[in-house]
Amino acid sequence: MSQISAAGQSHGVGADHPALRSSNISMAPGAGTGLKSAFIGLGVLGLAVVAIGWFKDSTHALASLHVGVITAITICLGATFFVLIFNLVNAGWVSTFKRQYENVMSLLPIVSLLMIPVFVLDYLKGGALFTWMSSAAHGDVILEKKAGFLNPMFFYARSAFYILLWAYITSTLRRLSLEQDRTGDKWLTAKARRTSAWAILVMALSASFAGFDWLMSIDFKFFSTMWGVYFFAGSAYVGTATMILILALLRRAGKMEGAVTSEHFHDLGKLLFSFTVFWAYIAFSQYFLIWYSGIPEETAFFEMRLKGAWPMVGAAVIISHFALPFVIMLFRGIKRNPTTIAFFAIWSIAAHVIDMFWVVRPVVHVANAADPVGWGMIWIDAGAVLGVLGVLGWLIVGKVTSGPLVAVNDPRLGESLDHRNYV
Amino acid sequence: MSSKVYTTESGEVVYGIVAEFDTPADVYHAAEQVRDAGYSKWDVHTPFPIHGMEDAMGVKRTILPMIIGVVGLTCAGLGFLMQWWMNGVDYQLTVQGKPFATWQAFVPITFELGILFSAFTAIIGMLFFNRLPQWYHPLLKKDRFLRVSDDRFMICIEAGDSNFDPDRTRALLEGAGGKHIDLVEE
Repeated sequence: MSQISAAGQSHGVGADHPALRSSNISMAPGAGTGLKSAFIGLGVLGLAVVAIGWFKDSTHALASLHVGVITAITICLGATFFVLIFNLVNAGWVSTFKRQYENVMSLLPIVSLLMIPVFVLDYLKGGALFTWMSSAAHGDVILEKKAGFLNPMFFYARSAFYILLWAYITSTLRRLSLEQDRTGDKWLTAKARRTSAWAILVMALSASFAGFDWLMSIDFKFFSTMWGVYFFAGSAYVGTATMILILALLRRAGKMEGAVTSEHFHDLGKLLFSFTVFWAYIAFSQYFLIWYSGIPEETAFFEMRLKGAWPMVGAAVIISHFALPFVIMLFRGIKRNPTTIAFFAIWSIAAHVIDMFWVVRPVVHVANAADPVGWGMIWIDAGAVLGVLGVLGWLIVGKVTSGPLVAVNDPRLGESLDHRNYV
Repeated sequence: MSSKVYTTESGEVVYGIVAEFDTPADVYHAAEQVRDAGYSKWDVHTPFPIHGMEDAMGVKRTILPMIIGVVGLTCAGLGFLMQWWMNGVDYQLTVQGKPFATWQAFVPITFELGILFSAFTAIIGMLFFNRLPQWYHPLLKKDRFLRVSDDRFMICIEAGDSNFDPDRTRALLEGAGGKHIDLVEE
């Protein structure tokens, strides 16, 4: 159990605990270089594929890139949400791996900058992706009603505002955590909680609006009040999956033994499971209300996803994002075994990619009756997603190996080390 | 059952033997000994939950979740079938120009019925496996037993256990550090 001295210095369980011995919670210099090279190689290769794709079908390449970028952003948004919520509710069980959440969180502003190439390429193509910017949409009566919000100046300003806001929040929280590593001041935990209290509200609103702007506005006639929640549910889901994957890889590398155990994987697995269910619940709710009310602007969103082979993609989303993981992850043993839950983490990231693909990509080829999905150039999508996720993986491995794997002076480390599921 | 029926000198049927312990650690280690001696019909009574006691007692995980899962999914499926029969076949009514049998419209009620019957199964199954409700419990006849809601920890081994033997069971509890060891009458 952690002890706190009168001076306000938290000595925690410190180096006394066998699980917190230095060799267990720090990477050797140069560790992860192979993985880093593999990721950046994948990233460069993938983005090169997108570049080739740009000359074959620029709109397709742009949309594919957007799928990849949004997936990477949602991963970091999910991690940010969990750092905020864990700070806010004084979560103790996450203390040993909270640093990994913070690592992914701190990449949010950097990854969000990948929206800039998307905006530039979209501008060069005259609004091929964000169709409301195109000249074809000019004078549309629905767009004119929305022009006060959906105009390029305000749109770019909002996007910049989100990224600056996220940069401020994530860097503040990370700075407090790293400062605690150095000074051991336990009050920094309380300070992080105070910051999280307002930040979670700001993040909820800014992430919802980012979802509206970057995903929903692609089809500018469509609107759904559920969209922000849909975006959030996917983020939390894929953020949890990424965390499980990072921890499983660290355990595989022989680190964090005793610090991250089956008990932690069990609870992370419960979170992954719950966000599978939550996503399905709100995704169906969104569809259900639109289906029932039958308002043309809204139903058009689903109608265009019923063309050609798109229903197959939709079915793949339902099965991979909900039906299959729901049934299998119900079982306790699946969640407690690092290998099986890591498998489902990779599965979940793939499911989320298909979901984002289903949201973004129909806009490109749907008018082409022969091949509304664009199967002929699906390699551009594969390249873009693997490319952007390769870059993200490279950044994450760099962050993870840059310092201690555990926030060594966290006052709740004892609670996390003793963590057990009694049921 | 093969187990013998024991009676006291006054002819009362023996329910079991109870022993008292002063601390959670004492009762925890005593429970390990009772578990290792191979008893199955026995229980530990404490004023508050003791973490890890299920391991010390060697209690197996309940099969209740499996039962809830099967019943919940079955009832969800039956709920879907019910709506399909009523709206799609038996009493067709046009609502909002939608087809008679539409899976979308059936989802909320299917979901709710799955939840409802899972909850019923959970609570009824829990009561069933705990053999509740009971009119009374033999242990409640003991005045000293009331202290398990305050500051005492007790182990009661039932006479219905096939390993039960008045002398050996008493000796086991004594050896485990039990105090105020006493017979409980049915």
